[in-house]
Amino acid sequence: MSTALLSIRDVHLAFGGLKVLDGLNLEVKAGEIRGLIGPNGAGKTTLLNVICGLNRPQRGDVRLNGVSIVGRKPSAIARLGLGRTFQTSQLFRGMTVLENMMLGLHRRTRTGLISAGCNGRRRRSEERAMEAAARNALSFVGMADLAERPATALSFGQQRVIEIARTLISDPSVVLLDEPAVGLSANRLSELDALLRKIRDQKGVTLILIEHVIRLVMGVCDQVTVLSSGSAIADGPPAAVRNDPAVIEAYLGRELSARYQAS
Amino acid sequence: MVAPFGRRNVLLALFAAASVLPAVANVYQLFIANLMLVYVLLAIGLNILVGYAGQLAFANAAMFGIGAYATGLLQVRLGCSFWLAFPAGALVAAAVGLAISLPALRLSGLYLALSTLAFAQATQWVFLHWESVTFGAGGFKTPPLSFAPLPIGKPLGLYYLSLALLVVLFQFAQNLVASRVGRAFVAVRDGEVAAQSLGVDLLRTKALAFGISGFYAGIAGGLYSAMLNFVAPEGFDLFQMVLQKSMIVVGGLGSITGSVLGAGLMIIVLEALRAFKGLQEIVFGVLLVGFVLFMRGGLVSVLKRHVRGWEEPLRLPQRAPPAAAPRALEAAAGGAEP
Repeated sequence: MSTALLSIRDVHLAFGGLKVLDGLNLEVKAGEIRGLIGPNGAGKTTLLNVICGLNRPQRGDVRLNGVSIVGRKPSAIARLGLGRTFQTSQLFRGMTVLENMMLGLHRRTRTGLISAGCNGRRRRSEERAMEAAARNALSFVGMADLAERPATALSFGQQRVIEIARTLISDPSVVLLDEPAVGLSANRLSELDALLRKIRDQKGVTLILIEHVIRLVMGVCDQVTVLSSGSAIADGPPAAVRNDPAVIEAYLGRELSARYQAS
Repeated sequence: MVAPFGRRNVLLALFAAASVLPAVANVYQLFIANLMLVYVLLAIGLNILVGYAGQLAFANAAMFGIGAYATGLLQVRLGCSFWLAFPAGALVAAAVGLAISLPALRLSGLYLALSTLAFAQATQWVFLHWESVTFGAGGFKTPPLSFAPLPIGKPLGLYYLSLALLVVLFQFAQNLVASRVGRAFVAVRDGEVAAQSLGVDLLRTKALAFGISGFYAGIAGGLYSAMLNFVAPEGFDLFQMVLQKSMIVVGGLGSITGSVLGAGLMIIVLEALRAFKGLQEIVFGVLLVGFVLFMRGGLVSVLKRHVRGWEEPLRLPQRAPPAAAPRALEAAAGGAEP
């Protein structure tokens, strides 16, 4: 076996007759930032759903730290150290920002029913620790002053950042980000870019990033994998992938790609 | 900052009033006050399940009945003392709550409502027709409850027992909802997929909410059976369920204090309309619909807005925002920020 932190081997998944993932292979090393790009319908989001356990592949294996995670519940996979964010905001609307962040620590804490209800020693110490960690994490992303706000009072861009912070707070070994830049204005986009670099440089977390904003992908990612029709057609550093004929063809079609290469 | 009408003070005042009430109340008033305590317990349990964990279940009246029947039958059929039958009855109701949570993992919204309603009707059927155990439609008398060696009569003893249990279980619920466990409930309500991705186990969390509401309903059922010295099927029917639902909606979904206020208020309304049997259900329907339409947060949301010191974090289920284009939202919000 390789030393990959996350290894996906020959994964097949079809919805009815539609093959969404078709013999997909992917290896991601610890500490890497991996970009996943590809045309619409290439299977990017489905791949993330397979990794985090929301979809079960019909064939193939997914290993996190050498442990097969196929068929486990999403919550169990999350507890193994896999975090993810979604395309649409998934903050809990009935909570404050701080409480949303504290939920990020759910998998790191143990308070059970009895201690929670009786305000036992474990509850008190864990609540204190969780609150401190949550405020720290909010400072890390520069949003400490939003802690007491209801989640619903945040702007779209703020919600996106809080969601990323909520995922990172429990120090997962791998984080899947599904189009973090979607819907962001140019200003917010450069803030996100800076945040991702800061996360990469200071947290040492492995990130897998689906993104259509190529500027973001090229700037932040160490490695880029291009998906098309459910399998990986190219793999490598951003600059190399950018000029790969197969990639250009996947995006532009054969005819246009021939013209593009000729020009 | 002085907040004379803050939440804590209001609750303390209510507790003080409840403590001295037996000194001034007649037998009927004491009975009604005890009924209120029972319904507050029911409303708190139901609010944890519906208001916090977001499970639209209609089985609480049935679990109330199961608590009452189990407490009564353990005494009558097996000769247990009340002091053993009562906690055992509550545990039976909690176990039934846990058991009906199993289908709840696969069902949500209307389907969960329908299946729990079916369960409630089936329970009603068992109460009515399993005559060799439940005595059928006529119900059965439970043995008189004695507080000996304490020198107090049954109504007074039961009242203070209910009050003491309520204080303990109120505080338990209040601690619970502001903890890791309570946040997991709200997370499951607000977004199951996101909750799972943060490591919240859906089955465990839902089962816990069902079990807790079953336990609270079981405690209430045991107290209720002792109050009446009598258990019969009709107390645990659909109207009972509507009554409990209206309590948490009027008081405030996602608020423990709201459960107290809602239950108290609805019992007062119920008693005020006791003479006009048909009117009760009409008034309840109007209140329920009125609060759902015009005051979704219930009484507590109004208190929170207008009373200084009412600091309870209200876990109101939020309506999804209208489907606006995210770009437009971002542009609007981005422009206003510093």
